[in-house]
Order: sequence, then C-alpha cells, then structure tokens
Amino acid sequence: MKHSYSAEHARFLRKRRRKLALVWALRIGLLALFLGVWELVTALGWADPFLMSSPSRIAKTLASLYADGSLFYHIGVTLLETLIGFAISTVVGCAVALLLWWSETLKRVLEPYIVVLNALPKIALGPLIIIWFGTGAEAIVFMTVLVGVIVATMHMLTAFLSTDKNKLLLLRSMGASKLQILQKLVVPSSLASFISMLKVNVGMAWIGSIMGEYIVSRAGIGYLIVYGGQVFKLDLVMTATFLLCLLAAGMYFAVVLLEKILVKNEEN
Amino acid sequence: MKNVLCFTDVTLTYHTTRGETTAAEGLSFEVGEGEFLAVIGPSGCGKTTLLSLAAGLLAPSSGEVTRAGRCGYMLQKDELFPWRTIEKNIFLPLEIRREKEKNARSGAVELAKKYGLGDFLQSYPAELSGGMRQRAALIRTLAADPDILLLDEPFSALDYQTRLNVCEDVSKILRGEHKTALLITHDISEAISLADRVLVLTARPAKVAYSHTLDFGDVVSPLKRREMPQFSGWFELLWRELNA
Repeated sequence: MKHSYSAEHARFLRKRRRKLALVWALRIGLLALFLGVWELVTALGWADPFLMSSPSRIAKTLASLYADGSLFYHIGVTLLETLIGFAISTVVGCAVALLLWWSETLKRVLEPYIVVLNALPKIALGPLIIIWFGTGAEAIVFMTVLVGVIVATMHMLTAFLSTDKNKLLLLRSMGASKLQILQKLVVPSSLASFISMLKVNVGMAWIGSIMGEYIVSRAGIGYLIVYGGQVFKLDLVMTATFLLCLLAAGMYFAVVLLEKILVKNEEN
Repeated sequence: MKNVLCFTDVTLTYHTTRGETTAAEGLSFEVGEGEFLAVIGPSGCGKTTLLSLAAGLLAPSSGEVTRAGRCGYMLQKDELFPWRTIEKNIFLPLEIRREKEKNARSGAVELAKKYGLGDFLQSYPAELSGGMRQRAALIRTLAADPDILLLDEPFSALDYQTRLNVCEDVSKILRGEHKTALLITHDISEAISLADRVLVLTARPAKVAYSHTLDFGDVVSPLKRREMPQFSGWFELLWRELNA
C-alpha cells in the first residue's frame, strides 16, 4: 500500500509504535529485574540459595536434566496427560452441554448434580481414583478430565442458552427444525464462548494434570516438584515450576492462535 | 379478493405460575391478497402476540387462524447472522427449507441485485450501514417467496433519516413484488404512509376497535403520502382513536 498520510497521522503512528516499544521494554525489564535481584541476593548470601534456589542454579538443573535425557521425557509425559485430558474434557463438556440445551427437562433434572460436582474439590476423590485407575497415566488423565469437564459444560451451556431470542424467533418463523436451529444458529453464535472456554480449560487441564501427578506418578513435571520437595532439592522444584510456566503459556498462545484463525470473519 | 390470512374470533390466554393473562379476545380480521394492512394499538396490547399467531408460532386458545401459503417474518432489528456473508444470509430461508432448486437461489440473488445489494453480496453485515442491513433483511424475507410478510415494527431500530429512507425502500420493494403484508407498529404516521388499510386495536385483551381504508388513491410512496393534505386528517383521527 502506498502511504500518503498527513504529518499528524505519521506523528500519531510514531507515538503508538513508541508506546508499544515502551510496554515491551518494561515487560522484559521487569523479568530481567526479577531474575537479577534473585540471582544477586542468593549470590551475595543474603538469602540461602539452598532454600531459594537461583536463576543460575535453575539453568544448571535444566542442563543436567537435558544431559541425562530426562528433561523431554518428563515434559512429554505431563504434556501428553494434559493434552489428552484437555481434549476429552472439552469434547465431553460440549457434548453434555448440547444435550442439556436440547432437553430442558434433562437440564432441570441434572442442574443440582452439576452444581454439587462443580463445588466439590476434585482432590477429595484422589484415593478413589488411585483405587479405580491404579497409579498410571490413566489416573492423571481422569483427574484432568474431572477438573475440566464441569467448567466446560457450564460454560458452553450458558453460551448455548444465551442465543439471541430474536434470531431464534426468526428461524422458527422460517419453519426451522430444532436440529437446524442448532446447526445454523446456536453452534456458530457460540464460537466466541467456545474460544473463551478453551482458554479457561487450558488452565483447568494444567491444574488437573499437576494435581493428578501430586497424587500418583512416577514421571512428569508434577512428579519432579513433589520429588524435589521430598528430597529437599528446591532447585528441582523451581526448575519444574519454571517449565510449567513455559508450557502453560505455550498452550494458552496456541489457543489464541486458533482464535485468530477461526474468528477472522466476525469483525463485530 | 382472496384472503391470505384470516383471524376468526381468536382468543389467546397466556399461562404463567402467577396466573393467566388474556392477550386477545374475539379478534377477527382478514388480509386480502396484495393488500398492505397496518395494525396499530396502544402499547402492551399484544402486537407481537398477534404476529406470532399469524406466523403460526403460537396456537390460539380458541378461534381459528388460517393462512394461505407461507409467512415471511421481519423483525425490529435486521437479525442478520454476523458470521455469514449477505449472500449466505439471504439464502438462509432456502437452506432451512432444504430448497434444492437452483432457481430459488438465483432468484434471491437477482432480487438483491435489483434492489442495490449486488456489490455487497460477499460482504459481512458489519460492513453495511443500518439502512442497507435492513434492506438485506427484507431481501432475505422475500427470498423465501412468502405469500404474506409479517413486519414487526421493522423501522423502529433505525435513526429518523434512515427510517424514512428504508420505509420508502420497503414500500417500493413490496409494491414492486406485489406482496401481501401485515405491518404491526406503534408509529401512526408509518402506518398511514405505508398501508392500504389500518386496524386500530383496543388495549389488552386486544380486539379490533376500528378499521379504516385509506384514500390515497394510487399514491404508494410514503414520502409523497406524508405531503398529501389528507395525511394529517388520518393522523388526527387515528391518534384520537388510539387514546380513546
């Protein structure tokens, strides 16, 4: 595109770019400051690096995990559990929400049960899960699904039920069947809610998988944290936490990317 | 003249846990083929109920509503689906009817082109002005080739200038396509400027209080009608009848 902006517009654009650069500089600066202060207070002995760990010790721990080949093994284990749990809870949540949207009676019958299941701290089911699913990955995936599925269901049901009344009236006046109303209106108009549900559910999936690994596991990031805590290797705990931050952020941005691809046509 | 829509002694009662409300009682009228009938009434008289009855979305508690053919419903807002292009929006009633006929689609596109939407078929509703959107909504309604159009205050969400223009458009399009229409509105001047005949409803429970055949002759343009001497006379009469 050829530019023929006025000087004022050029100033406006420059100002915006500067503002954006400033925000990014501050973001990175804040992180650098945090890491620098952390490193400094532990290096100077103001804080015990054995208890506090430090950025350099985290880097060393990462390197040694990488060297003995267990870094990607643990990441892979947790990532797989999280993704499977995330996928199952998303699919089941949407399916149940559709069912409840379809049948008003079913919705009213199940409402109190859903409310109770939502309020129940899922960790309370830990012992049951170990007995039912053993101590393998199945137990962790089940925990992940348990944490995510109710939230996904409630989120999507709210979205389906908040479909524009007038648009429903319009479709009914055209003689649309319930299935057509679902296909042409309810599902497409819930796209934005679907994306926001995915964002919430990413967080839920990580809560579920790490919680599951706390209860039963022989590998994974959650396992590293628990193990590190038990043997008082706080470097390992911090390193695992750092990895968790990276992975959760990565998955969140994957959803944001998906949103950009799916929601390109709806400008309003 | 053949009747396209006929209400015979219609009564409708709403039931809620708090009690029952009679929305209409002994309501009788008919809309002839090619006629443009406007219905006005005091607010809360159940105008939208009447349209739901006419569209067959509600069944009367007693009495009978008969329709010859299909209804097309046009609402206050355009209710275009933002995720569909204008063309896809216009095809919506055909999709719902599972219309396999290619002619129906090309007919709808022709209609859109004829009334100035040809360049916007691949646009999304958000890219169109309020007036254009309402026109697209009308084309969507007409695409189903309805035998009667039900118009539920279709201009009330527009600003005044757009409103006069869209009103003019709608009148031209409906007269041009020889459509039968039932307009429900609380706007007296809109009723006078568009219709062949005006019904005045009573407060709830609604029934027909007055029926007037307007005497504008061949003048169908709403703007021209507003300039005619008898316009203010009709306005005054209907105003008094509404507030009686």
